[in-house]
Amino acid sequence: MKSYIWLQTVDGSIQQVEQEIAMFCPMICHEVIQKGMGSSKNYAISLPQQVNPAMLSLILDYCRFHQVPGRSNKERKSFDEKFIRMDTKRLCELTSAADSLQLKPLVDLTSRALARIIEGKAPEEIREIFHLPDDLTEEEKLEPLKNATDDPRIRLLNRLYAKKRKELKEREKLKNVEVDEELVDDRSVDDLLSFINGDDGDSKGIKTSKSKKKNRRRKDLLKSTSAHEATKNHNKESNGLNSVCRSAEVRQILPSVGATTNLQDVEDDIFPNKNEFDDGDIDDEIDPTLKEKIDREVEDFARRLNSDWPERMQEILSLGQEKKPVHLSLNGKGS
Amino acid sequence: MPKRLAYSLSDEVLEHVFSFIQSDKDRNVVSAVCKSWYEIERWCRRKIFVGNCYAVSPKMVIRRFPQVRSIELKGKPHFADFNLVPDGWGGYVLPWITEMAGAYPWLDEIRLKRMVVTDESLELIAKSFKDFKVLVLASCEGFSTDGLAAIAASCKNLRELDLRESEVDDSSVHWLSHFPETYTSMVSLNISCLGSGEVSFSALERLVSRCPNLRSLKLNRAVPLDKTANILRLAPQLVEFSTCTYSAELRSDVFSNLAGAFSNCKELRSLSGFWDVVPDYLPAIYSVCSRLTSLNLSYATIHSPDLIKLVSHCPSLQRLLVLDYIEDSGLEALASNCKDLQELRVFPSDPFDVEPNASLTEQGLVAVSLGCPKLQSVLYFCRRMSNAALVTIAQNCPNLTRFRLCIIEPNTADYLTGEPFDVGFGAIVEHCKDLIRLSLSGLLTDCVFEYIGKYAKKLEMLSVAFAGDSDLGLHHVLSGCESLRKLEIRDCPFGDKALLTNAAKLETMRSLLMSSCSVSLEACKLLSQKMPRLNVEVIDERGPPDSRPKNCTVDKLYIYRSVAGPRFDMPPFVWTKDEDLALRLSP
Repeated sequence: MKSYIWLQTVDGSIQQVEQEIAMFCPMICHEVIQKGMGSSKNYAISLPQQVNPAMLSLILDYCRFHQVPGRSNKERKSFDEKFIRMDTKRLCELTSAADSLQLKPLVDLTSRALARIIEGKAPEEIREIFHLPDDLTEEEKLEPLKNATDDPRIRLLNRLYAKKRKELKEREKLKNVEVDEELVDDRSVDDLLSFINGDDGDSKGIKTSKSKKKNRRRKDLLKSTSAHEATKNHNKESNGLNSVCRSAEVRQILPSVGATTNLQDVEDDIFPNKNEFDDGDIDDEIDPTLKEKIDREVEDFARRLNSDWPERMQEILSLGQEKKPVHLSLNGKGS
Repeated sequence: MPKRLAYSLSDEVLEHVFSFIQSDKDRNVVSAVCKSWYEIERWCRRKIFVGNCYAVSPKMVIRRFPQVRSIELKGKPHFADFNLVPDGWGGYVLPWITEMAGAYPWLDEIRLKRMVVTDESLELIAKSFKDFKVLVLASCEGFSTDGLAAIAASCKNLRELDLRESEVDDSSVHWLSHFPETYTSMVSLNISCLGSGEVSFSALERLVSRCPNLRSLKLNRAVPLDKTANILRLAPQLVEFSTCTYSAELRSDVFSNLAGAFSNCKELRSLSGFWDVVPDYLPAIYSVCSRLTSLNLSYATIHSPDLIKLVSHCPSLQRLLVLDYIEDSGLEALASNCKDLQELRVFPSDPFDVEPNASLTEQGLVAVSLGCPKLQSVLYFCRRMSNAALVTIAQNCPNLTRFRLCIIEPNTADYLTGEPFDVGFGAIVEHCKDLIRLSLSGLLTDCVFEYIGKYAKKLEMLSVAFAGDSDLGLHHVLSGCESLRKLEIRDCPFGDKALLTNAAKLETMRSLLMSSCSVSLEACKLLSQKMPRLNVEVIDERGPPDSRPKNCTVDKLYIYRSVAGPRFDMPPFVWTKDEDLALRLSP
């Protein structure tokens, strides 16, 4: 005579399940043994709200397979691989359901599958897949600036970023006031680019003297480049900054009252040259007198470097296709 | 069920999912998804990698990640290995240890590279972290055997102690004896850098005999060869072993003892050491050769015939480090025997001799590229090269990820055509789409940098010396290499323009080091002023850069991004932008 356990899902429907299958779930096991539940329809075990009939069905399929003792590891693995193939939505539901029933092997299986979905993707992709809000501020994200071959865009992004940071500060001060986000800054190109029209002629074409040998110590050469080195930690480094600027965290971390004052104090730690960010010129966040000084230096520098860098660049780029004059080494070595 | 709710996972479940995501890159992405993920992620982050110890402060790391168990820090830039960073530059670990001692009582792993570690730091580690397990000090300095004694005495659960290529001062303390008799947890021990006085052999034997989980043992040079057999017999379960001096008068009893000991080691997969090797003793390792996947003979001054014999016994070899004594003939033998080879490093036996002392040319590398389809990582020292060879190599090995070619004499041209190597390296970057590390050498013009900027989209680290014609070269690299993180340049005519035009790029990289190039002090100051999140350090031992004539170029320039602001531990020969430089210079 087979025994059955009565289970009730969140939608109210009740079903009976073979005992050995249902008992594979620790939560159900606990209800049966410790509380004596599940033996009849009236005493059906109320399953957690994460377990709707569809999820229960999946979970029972899993249990039905795995509770059979004779199976080999290979068989189990093969089953799991097929079992886990479902869309992300179901996978999330299943993970939550399995977790609520404390069915650890299934939680691990589904969690690993979710981890594989997340790995290798960019934040925007992940947000889209899991329907998550984009609620970190620009500053908090502090994404490494994507390389653009287009210099002015990088400049623009930098300015935008700096502006956002400033706006964030304002927002913190005036807590509930909505700040209009100005997304486009169509100002002209940065100072740095404008004066870069130096002559190529000052490339000294330094040929080193033979006595300057590369002193390559064995020490270096034996180092293996570990894969870990390939990690880019810009986010992490700059998010260390972020974690302080977000007022919620500031409240958590700093015991004293007044989020705004804390923000200021903490910012002093991080931006030691704070006066550089005083108001005056919104774009460069440098105070006017300092900016003038820099502008003067820049003009001076530009004059000294005199002209036509972009044209020269074009020339050299086109020359690059042709054969270049041969540089023979002085000691005639080559063979 | 609303769409969003269906995807919602509880914090605990998310944390569990994140536990299966371990790469730093992915963890950083996870933290940038949304506020709640950021919060969950930071509380469950267990491992932190800080590629530049000055990029962030320990306080900031601790504040954001309160439950870290494992930390890896790097200090000096790579060029320090070539004596291009003066002593005393920095990279002190004590401030980090001090902060972590209070904040992370459960820290159990510390891995450091090119940092200055003092005995005080080691003592603090020994005292503060109750469950300390892993200590790796790679190319570190500043500590003595006193510090090691403190670690040995206190860290009951120590599993890994790795001092690879560090400089350790001998304080005459028998530090190995400080491991208590009850200590049995060692899994990996690397003391190959220690001198003769620093290791008591009997203490070592006792330690090895009571650590049944020992998997990796790298001995120091001074242990005599006849003792090697004893050690091996005590630890037949070893997977990795580095011998000591492999030299002695040839005696048949020593030989057979050694051969017998090796034949017991069924798990052995990696061998290194072999200092001063006497070729007649090499056959003692033949019994393990068929299973060897890694062999490091870069200290073994044996010649081609012996090397060929040895290599022909190792069909499973994946990694070989060897001196140029292997010659082209040896590499050809390697190419025909070792089809699983992934990594090859050939070092110069005598780099300072003008004439080649071994018949190693580009042919050897070409042979390997043809015969070993899995080749991914190459470091090759030679005295001659041709563009044709480089193109062939590129075509044979499109899966290369690391290519470091060191033609010993600067500005050497293609020996067949007299041309620069622009085309050859161009072929490398064009064909090897997954290339992440590249070192250039030989005669090179700005053209090669144009190729690199155009094709090397995954390149993360580039080393350049004695190359290029103008700022255009540097400009191509900075504007084109999207994945670039580390750039080190010496003796190239790169100056202000390229640097300033690409200032924003520098913030997307870990660091840039330029030595003996053409960058002026003004440009450094300007860069510093415009980019507050960059630390611009001028390293100049000749004296204050300001005191030099206006058009003088700086000696060395080290630029790195940082959220920790300027550092406070700079030595006198490092100069940075200051509010008032005069103040800095005054006594």
